[in-house]
Amino acid sequence: MNKTSPLNNTLTFAFMDPPFENERTITFFRLLDAALEKNANVRVFAYEGAVALAFARQQQHGNAVHGRDTDAENHPLTKDWIAALQRKSKDKGLSFEWINCGLCVDERGVNEAVEGCGRGGPADLWRYASESHNTLAIGTR
Amino acid sequence: MKVLQVIDQAFRTAGEEQDDTILWLTQCMRGAGAELEVLLTGHGAYYTVQSRAQPALKFGAWQQTQPADITQDIGRLREKGVPVYVEREALQERGLFGLPVLPGVEVISRDAVAKLYENADQIWHW
Amino acid sequence: MSHFLFIQSQDPFTEVATSRQYQLAAELAKAGNQVQVLLVQNGVTPARKGANCPAFDALLASSVSVLADEFALRQREFGENHLRDGVQPAEIGLVVDAMLAGHKVIWN
Repeated sequence: MNKTSPLNNTLTFAFMDPPFENERTITFFRLLDAALEKNANVRVFAYEGAVALAFARQQQHGNAVHGRDTDAENHPLTKDWIAALQRKSKDKGLSFEWINCGLCVDERGVNEAVEGCGRGGPADLWRYASESHNTLAIGTR
Repeated sequence: MKVLQVIDQAFRTAGEEQDDTILWLTQCMRGAGAELEVLLTGHGAYYTVQSRAQPALKFGAWQQTQPADITQDIGRLREKGVPVYVEREALQERGLFGLPVLPGVEVISRDAVAKLYENADQIWHW
Repeated sequence: MSHFLFIQSQDPFTEVATSRQYQLAAELAKAGNQVQVLLVQNGVTPARKGANCPAFDALLASSVSVLADEFALRQREFGENHLRDGVQPAEIGLVVDAMLAGHKVIWN
């Protein structure tokens, strides 16, 4: 816990995984949703592969193996999950902030992030953590 | 607020990022005033007995010019006053115990790890 | 005394470090801290009745409170009678509760 934090119901989450690769991404989003559900303000520092979670150019596609076209498949996209959490936070009067590590964005070329997701660096992770009540870092494997 | 950074993997980003991404993150946050400690356990123990830069990658005509040098990453952390610990049993398991450990790195027993967890305000396991 | 919550995604069948992670949780509990382990993802696999894992047995025998993410259990079709004694199903929101309570919350 950050004993000196002025933001007593703000939680920071640091994450590293890109979309579509492993279960950690699902658990991470479930935690963000749960945090809002419990009326916590949420701050996310997306590091390394996680900067692709907010990439605005993610696209749905059909799936011939599933026998479904694009509309029917309705493929989940993490950018839509972020947007949904942003809406949920707004409806509840909470804040939901998201910073992508800028250098990680550059090297991956995922410079177009959905609205509400900004660009920053490690100092922002420390700022977030310092100002928050608590922080959870989820590393990658 | 004191944060213990736990690193139990190694070499996963050394090729492309030309460093260990969490050691790099730690250096940057230290520069922003963070109070941090680093525990190298598991394969992370390898970092503490490195003696030279990583081998440069080469694909076709492409040749890496700045391979990672973990010895410098750890050296910079130590220069900035970040305590760096390595778990003795992690070294022993990997046949590394007895090799010279990088300057300033403290070898601790597995039994002492719980105390590090107790003394830190937060533990970030990467 | 501190409160610890380990979110245990690693499992002992595929990741050797898991046994050590269980041991650390038990050591912290033995030292007088309040320790919970929430099994998530494949971390729930040793919690099924019939699974063979001495390291997990030792964790259950310690004073660590062991919980399992109900979503992960549903994914893997754990019925009510499949969960080992001593493991309680739990909602993921308990992680948030722990964070808001100022506990040390650690992802394994």
